Amino acid sequence: MSSPEQAVPPPAEVMTIASPINLILLSLFVVLVYYQLRPKAPVSLPKGPPPVIFRTFTPTTLLPYNGTDDQPVYLAVRGRVFDVTPGRNFYGPGGPYENFAGRDASRGLACQSFDEEMLTQDLKGPLDDLKDLDGEQLENLQSWEERFSEKYLVVGKLVAEGEEEA
Amino acid sequence: MDPNTSIVAKLDAFAAELLADWNVYSTLIVCGIAAFVVFSFVTSKDTDIHPFLLARQSTAFPVRQPGESAPYRSLETPHGFPLRSGLNVKDPGAPRWTSGRKGDLRDIWKAAVRGSMEEDGKVSGKQGKIYTVLGRKAIEHSLDQVTQDFNVIGTRLQSAKVNTVAICLTDSVELLAAIFAGAFYGIKTIMIPHNLEAEALSTLLQKSGAEALIGEAGALDLSLVAKSNEQLSQVIWVAKLGSRHMDWNDVPEDVKGTLEVGVWHELVEEKKDLAGLEVPSWDPSSPASSITTVWPSKSSAGEFVEYQSENIVSGIAGLLYSLPRPQRYSPSDVVLSIDSLSRSYPLCQIMAALFSNASVAVNSVAGENVDFALATVGVSPTVIIASSRTMSEYHSQFMQPHSGPVSKFARWVQVRSLDGGYMPSHGLLNQVANAGPTSELSLDKLRLLCISHRVDADPDVQLDSEQLADLRILTGARIVYALTGPGVAGAVSQTNVFDYRRFPGPNHFGAPLSSVEVVLKGVPDGAEHEEGEIAVSGPSVICGKTTLAGRIRIRNDNTFELRH
Repeated sequence: MSSPEQAVPPPAEVMTIASPINLILLSLFVVLVYYQLRPKAPVSLPKGPPPVIFRTFTPTTLLPYNGTDDQPVYLAVRGRVFDVTPGRNFYGPGGPYENFAGRDASRGLACQSFDEEMLTQDLKGPLDDLKDLDGEQLENLQSWEERFSEKYLVVGKLVAEGEEEA
Repeated sequence: MDPNTSIVAKLDAFAAELLADWNVYSTLIVCGIAAFVVFSFVTSKDTDIHPFLLARQSTAFPVRQPGESAPYRSLETPHGFPLRSGLNVKDPGAPRWTSGRKGDLRDIWKAAVRGSMEEDGKVSGKQGKIYTVLGRKAIEHSLDQVTQDFNVIGTRLQSAKVNTVAICLTDSVELLAAIFAGAFYGIKTIMIPHNLEAEALSTLLQKSGAEALIGEAGALDLSLVAKSNEQLSQVIWVAKLGSRHMDWNDVPEDVKGTLEVGVWHELVEEKKDLAGLEVPSWDPSSPASSITTVWPSKSSAGEFVEYQSENIVSGIAGLLYSLPRPQRYSPSDVVLSIDSLSRSYPLCQIMAALFSNASVAVNSVAGENVDFALATVGVSPTVIIASSRTMSEYHSQFMQPHSGPVSKFARWVQVRSLDGGYMPSHGLLNQVANAGPTSELSLDKLRLLCISHRVDADPDVQLDSEQLADLRILTGARIVYALTGPGVAGAVSQTNVFDYRRFPGPNHFGAPLSSVEVVLKGVPDGAEHEEGEIAVSGPSVICGKTTLAGRIRIRNDNTFELRH
């Protein structure tokens, strides 16, 4: 306890706002107020992947898109090129339809056959015109095409080598 | 002693030393902290909309053509689904599960006359009203009166074998009636801005080939117009209240015999018993007539843009559904347009309001450049439709001089809540901040401000997000800000009503309406943001597709930013 004789009272005895505990509490207060009042930036979402550019393929330029080396898997049906990468398990390497990857699959789908013979061998030649298919096969092809259009994106069109657009 | 206990012991000693200094100030500070935490907890509010919905406001198709951007669409109509093409009108007696018709203007009037509908489909029959605002007073009209008017005028025009009628009126109940007369009696309607020179008007009439003209009595020189328009056979004058005692039936000497002149209120008075109050019935499969508006251009008096009925209903539906359900027009709304109805955005908004059984107010001074404060006296609207020029001028007139410390503080508090994602409440602070400019306005009930900007309008009148925030605070209303273009009924895009975010520079124009799809042309490859000319397609676009004279850039949140 302080006695009147003492000229300077001990500092601990005086009520002061500048004690360490008060300073700590005050700075806590200031930090709280700052976090509450600081301007908040609007929420932003990460940008999606850039859109695929629609392009014109020839059988030769379509060939690399067969799913090997993490390439996307494309296949063509009646001149439309579908990106079937989401169905990689079926259309990609090792899948039951792997022969179609990077190729014109129209004839194979129409004939319900996954064999090598169904593909157009001559990549430089004209596209398969499918003229020799019968009604049932065309119907088959139609239903495949509809399924593809529902599920997959059309990312390009297929033309024969040497055509103007190619 | 092992080192652990020594550290603990040291800490203990330190804490004891700290706490030994505890005094009344410490208690005060702790109380302050507690009060602040409780206060911010109590006053914190949920955002009006989930922030993620504002972070990506439209969807881009994952495939694009070379040189173009990806097609952008509203979140309401994703890619692969049809764009919104109509009002989904369900006829009484139609099976419940069938999808409704697209509808046309006749369905809109029918819905307005039928009265409001309850949630369960029962008709409660409460009709909206139509007000004409003349200066400080508003005249109330019942819908039946309008039905009667357009029956009389429509029958007269039909019996005179008129195919095309030009309407050159200030915004008024007669203008609305004339539009519906065209819709119900199969007459093509051409809306000509009312403030044109006689020469310009005459040229426009000539180009349009209109056989009938509905104009303001005394506002234009008939002999001059008639001289160069030989196809003109019918003229109907609309006389203002103050000048009805005069005889307007006078025909200039040189066109006597070929031209028939009538006066609106006299015709209605004469024929009203014959025409009746019934809304004429029609075959829903018959096409409704088109509406042509004039899009102003710098070089000439303007070019005609002919909207087919399908374009208009699609534009109306696009605007109607772009608002979330609680924000849509309801029978308790009074929708005031201070932008001219001869422009497609205000026209579609007013039609949307009529379709929703809201009351509608039209102002005779309405136009692209009006005094906001003066134009809004007379009625107490809940929704105002205005142009960006009007609002930008209002802002520079009233907001900028208003920057005392008190209103600055109040603005800061309210902007904070806008940034927090919710509208500031109409509290005492609001009153303090707004004392002055609002005192003369009757905007207490205002809840929504619809602002449209022409794609080719002066870039100076484009509003920035600070101005929009000011307007939100001042009027206490939410804002939608739309981009319009010639050939697109309604609007191309419109901001989300809950989007209060602020960014530097002119404000963006939100996401496309559900009635259009937007592609940018001439996009350079490899740019960080897609930017190009605006190509709009969809059911609300004339001929399905058009390119606008303007460039936009896609922002990170998939909204459109107009570039110059």
